[in-house]
Amino acid sequence: MLFSRRLMLGLAMAGSMASALALPALAGEGPTEIDLFFPVPVDGKLARDMGTLIKEFNETHPDVKATAVYTGSYDDTLIKTRAAIKAGKPPSAVIMSANFLLDMQIENELTNLDALIKADGTTKEQFLGQFFPALQGNAVINRSVYGVPFHNSTPLLYINADKAKEAGLDPSKPPQTWAELTDWAKKLTKREGDKVTQWGIAIPCAYDYCGWMMETLTMSNGGRYYNEEFGGEVYYDTPSMLGALTWWNDLVYKHKVHAPGATPGPAVSTSFISGNAAMMMLSTGSLTYVRDNAKFAYKVAFIPRNVRNAVPIGGASLIVPAGLEADKQKAAWTLIKWMTSPEKSGWWSRATGYFAPNMAAYKTPEMVDFLNKNPDAKTAVEQLDVAKPWFATYKTVPVRKNLEDEVMLVLNGKKQPKEALAAAQKAADETLKPYNAETSLKLP
Amino acid sequence: MSLAEPAALPVATSAAPRLDVLKRLGTRFKASLPAYLLLLPSLVFLALFTYGAMGRVFIDALYQRATPKAPVRFVGLDNISAVLADPAFTGAVVNNLVYAIGTAIPSIGLALLFALALSRTNAVSSALRAALFLPVLIPMVAASALFMFIFLPNVGLLDFYIGRLLPVLPNWLGDPDIALYAIMIITIWKNAGYYMLFFLAGLQAVPEDVMEAAHLDGAGPYMRFRHIILPELKPTFLFVIVIATLNAVTQVDHVFVMTQGGPSNSTNLVLFYIYQQAVEHYDVGKASAATLLTLAALMGLTALSFRTMANREGGP
Repeated sequence: MLFSRRLMLGLAMAGSMASALALPALAGEGPTEIDLFFPVPVDGKLARDMGTLIKEFNETHPDVKATAVYTGSYDDTLIKTRAAIKAGKPPSAVIMSANFLLDMQIENELTNLDALIKADGTTKEQFLGQFFPALQGNAVINRSVYGVPFHNSTPLLYINADKAKEAGLDPSKPPQTWAELTDWAKKLTKREGDKVTQWGIAIPCAYDYCGWMMETLTMSNGGRYYNEEFGGEVYYDTPSMLGALTWWNDLVYKHKVHAPGATPGPAVSTSFISGNAAMMMLSTGSLTYVRDNAKFAYKVAFIPRNVRNAVPIGGASLIVPAGLEADKQKAAWTLIKWMTSPEKSGWWSRATGYFAPNMAAYKTPEMVDFLNKNPDAKTAVEQLDVAKPWFATYKTVPVRKNLEDEVMLVLNGKKQPKEALAAAQKAADETLKPYNAETSLKLP
Repeated sequence: MSLAEPAALPVATSAAPRLDVLKRLGTRFKASLPAYLLLLPSLVFLALFTYGAMGRVFIDALYQRATPKAPVRFVGLDNISAVLADPAFTGAVVNNLVYAIGTAIPSIGLALLFALALSRTNAVSSALRAALFLPVLIPMVAASALFMFIFLPNVGLLDFYIGRLLPVLPNWLGDPDIALYAIMIITIWKNAGYYMLFFLAGLQAVPEDVMEAAHLDGAGPYMRFRHIILPELKPTFLFVIVIATLNAVTQVDHVFVMTQGGPSNSTNLVLFYIYQQAVEHYDVGKASAATLLTLAALMGLTALSFRTMANREGGP
């Protein structure tokens, strides 16, 4: 108690001192003060990079004073943003997981950015045209712009090239189809009796990652996972997803080249780095980690296809919450445009390992230089040609979890793919019911 | 109070009974005013941050939106019945019961064992006490992060050793049959040392003369333990059981860090369910209703245990 009171007194004093110091500086019109909420989904270094970025912004923009507020994981950032909106003090800009935008738009928590784009004298098409087409699906809702892509990823196939050579496979010709991948995985699995000492492939399955991998497999099997145009439908109980889950299940229980059970992302990357798994499917976001830690030659490749080459995007967009004063909105827009400019976008990409959403970033000399030194970073960008939006529905997280819980049962040998997907579909339909009741099933 | 009462008494005898009660209450209040004043600062903070929040939860639990765009409306007890009908909630309650029993009994048993073994203070036992207490000092989140590496399938510390014995390596956190037990191991590891402290304190209170008398009467170590130490430790047991149960409901940091309630909800505990309802489902009504149910259960439990304790202490 004493401590907290003293602390509060200290804070109050510090506050008054700060304002006393600041007051003379802002003679007349002061800069517009805005907050930017940002998550750190990968590692702690990102927070420092963000500090550098915002400092530079403030130095070059005297009329705006931005403060970067670290808000934890993607999920935490959503919670804190919603809490701030509820409390009537929304942050001016937030780096939000790209697939939360639709849900937030449904809940009326986002500012429609069309007016701000128009005020700049650009058309929506011109504005969106700066970004890779694959990223636009998660930023545009009902033909209005609600988010600006900031840092993005796609899933990749990582191959331990040394182990591939050992097994008589050519790592410069990575597997392109599921059949080839299955064959590679069989050849790369090492057994001592019944015991597996080296797994052919590892695919992560923990909440969030599991849904993303299911979308990856379903899309490369020709499927869609969800209705890109309408937030009230998912396609879980479909042939394309059944094929995807059956193949994953076969890798575990038929071919026995994938460890049973649900394995979270960090466990998969550790397994790959330690040589326990010879291949893995993981986000481009892990590329920097693999580059820094692998003590063997590795190779990254596109996710193999069964029907077509297609992968979902991941990552985050910048959004402006609803309910802001006009001057803050404008200041936030200045910040967002600056942060997603080719130069800054490229800088952030090199610092973090995400790819830069702004296509012009890849034309900057620094980026050309970087890609020449790290050709593996190119694969993710090239795969963008076949990338599609990340699933986003009404209540994205619970709807995703409806599927993930069932997939986990399958990977643990407790359910067969067909019945699991039927159960997932039923649960998801139930979760989506209130939204459909007010949209697709609300009839005149 | 003892000073004020004699002065009030003569007046009270002559006045009407009702007035007498009022007056006595008044004097009593006046006498205990300083006490209330002293309590005021913490009451203010409790009201602001505890009771205020509880009141808010109570109100929120009565409201719900039918569809996303519809306004919130009063639904009475609908949220509570929705929570009770939710298989995820009942699943979380069952998990929580298994978790509470499965963590409380082993950690209390271990704590008692440690305390009995280390009750005499010397250099060795002090060092061992410190070693056993160490897990308590590690924050739960840090401990969970450590255990995530220990539990890593195939390459983790545990599989590295156990792997030599088993043909198929368990996926500790990825198998719904095992994950909850893996989580429980951490809790036991972390809490046993903490409860040991209470038992050590309890053992200090066992009267030396009674023990000596038993010794002279020829009671062996088991007899002394069964008939003297255990009965003397009864209040400690009660207290530790309450603390352990509360911990089982309120400490879910490792679930957040390690499993997020998965795989397939197998490690979903009640508090994490509430978090999911509030954050993932964005359903404040249902989250509040689940909070109310949990609060009621916890308060009932606490009241029951305090009463048992009070009865014991009030007795001869």
